[in-house]
Amino acid sequence: MNTSYVWWAIAIYIFISLLIAFMSRTGNQNNMVGYFLGDRKLGGFVSALSYSATTYSAFMLVGLAGLTYRGGVGALGFELIYLMGVSLIAFFGPRFWVVGKKYGYVTPSEMLGDRYQDKRVAIIVAISSCLFLIPYSAVQLTGVGYLLSGLTNGGISFSSGVLIATVMAILFSYIAGIRSVAWTDSLQAIFMIISSTLVILILINGLGGFNGFFHTLETKYPESLSVPGNGFFSFFTFIGMTIPWMFFSLSNPQVSQRLYMPASMKDLKIMILGFMIFGVIYTLVAILWGFSATIMFPDLENVDLATPLLLSSDIVPPILGVIVMVGIMAAAISTIDSILLTLASVFAKDVYGNIKKKSSDKMQLRIGKIIIPIIAILAYLFAEMELSIIALLSVASSAGLIIVVPAIFGTFFWKRGTAKGVLASVIITGLIVICLEAFQWKPLGLASGIWGLILSTSIFIIVSLLTKAPVEKANEFIDTVKVALQAEKRK
Amino acid sequence: MKHNEKAYAILITILILLAFVVPYTLLRNVNAWYGSFLFWTALTILVIGVNYIMIKDWGKEE
Repeated sequence: MNTSYVWWAIAIYIFISLLIAFMSRTGNQNNMVGYFLGDRKLGGFVSALSYSATTYSAFMLVGLAGLTYRGGVGALGFELIYLMGVSLIAFFGPRFWVVGKKYGYVTPSEMLGDRYQDKRVAIIVAISSCLFLIPYSAVQLTGVGYLLSGLTNGGISFSSGVLIATVMAILFSYIAGIRSVAWTDSLQAIFMIISSTLVILILINGLGGFNGFFHTLETKYPESLSVPGNGFFSFFTFIGMTIPWMFFSLSNPQVSQRLYMPASMKDLKIMILGFMIFGVIYTLVAILWGFSATIMFPDLENVDLATPLLLSSDIVPPILGVIVMVGIMAAAISTIDSILLTLASVFAKDVYGNIKKKSSDKMQLRIGKIIIPIIAILAYLFAEMELSIIALLSVASSAGLIIVVPAIFGTFFWKRGTAKGVLASVIITGLIVICLEAFQWKPLGLASGIWGLILSTSIFIIVSLLTKAPVEKANEFIDTVKVALQAEKRK
Repeated sequence: MKHNEKAYAILITILILLAFVVPYTLLRNVNAWYGSFLFWTALTILVIGVNYIMIKDWGKEE
């Protein structure tokens, strides 16, 4: 692909996004709720698009397409079961939302700390989020580096790619906090869904239309259309990958924090349904993308090359190829900037705010703003160094973040849950999950994420039953939710 | 939890369980677009439909 085209496309992307980011600088930016939650006044449409852009990183058109290439249709099941799991936010969304308004929570970890009446809960959950999500961001940055250098045959170096993505992520989160993130995210999401759908329609058309496309798969690669197919998606592998992913909408703070932001229940509803529809379309595009690679380049040694090869193939017009490539870069950035913002708020609110006595809201905001570039630079350095521990923590992130899910269930549905239960389940299971990933252990054939879920749930329940629950808070909290929900659903 | 919310939770859980079981049993040897590809896609649209019915009245006056 022509390097100067790519540079031009990147320049245009940067110009338009920065323009949108600056235009989003409205409203109050001077306190934590204003900066990190947009004053809880986000509209439904922007919320839906931004939720989509944050959830779907560069993983979709590179990783998921690659997974389809290797294992066939099982990749579709994996990603769509995640999407069905997003139904969780139809249950938890309104609950997060009402307690956020009622108690003024800014972060999910702050909510846990208050509900279980122990600051250490907020601190530990906050630290575990940082431990897994900074490496995850680093790997996203690495992805941008490889994509750009791969598509331009080294015309744009790996380091330049990583640097551009880091600087853009800092700018988008810095310019107007969540507002600039939400608006640039929305632009990216619209752009990506249109351009990638166009590419896939062109590809399918070029490969014989829908019938011809599937006829080729059915005759030449029949195993790609069923599971376990070629054996890649054995049942245990499938559930090991899928179950941790199903809880993503609760376990990952950069998306669960979004539940505090919509302006009303109606906006929350639009966010959930809008995201689900976006998700189905985008997932199908990514899977068909992988199938196209199966048909066009059946003998690839390195699966990661599938997307660059597709984009530079003769069937796809070069301009569209460049546009989608920049779109993939933007997808990585739109995920990283949300993570940056969430981790900055989590650090300022839950770590700094709890350790330092008498920390004012203003001081927390200042710390949060200082932390944004620090986390970004940390991720940048990790990406440049390509340390194996970073790759390990990133792979462990879906398993590592899931350990907080039982505590979130307990927050709303189990009055007997205790702070010690949360602490024990998060700390012990967190360490076990890291060990399982480090040594590639799969006791009983089950993946680390499944163990993470089983162990954190059991430890949370057992330790909670052995310790004293914050009865008064639990009753007040759960009753508040009940009353507020009934009132809000009618508003 | 409200009574009907519980019913929706059970319904969605059953649909998700089907997403694990059916492709690995009934559709194991169906190597065509109308096999697991169609099943998972249709099931997801069904789950979205259930979500829609469950939350469609949020924010509406009663």
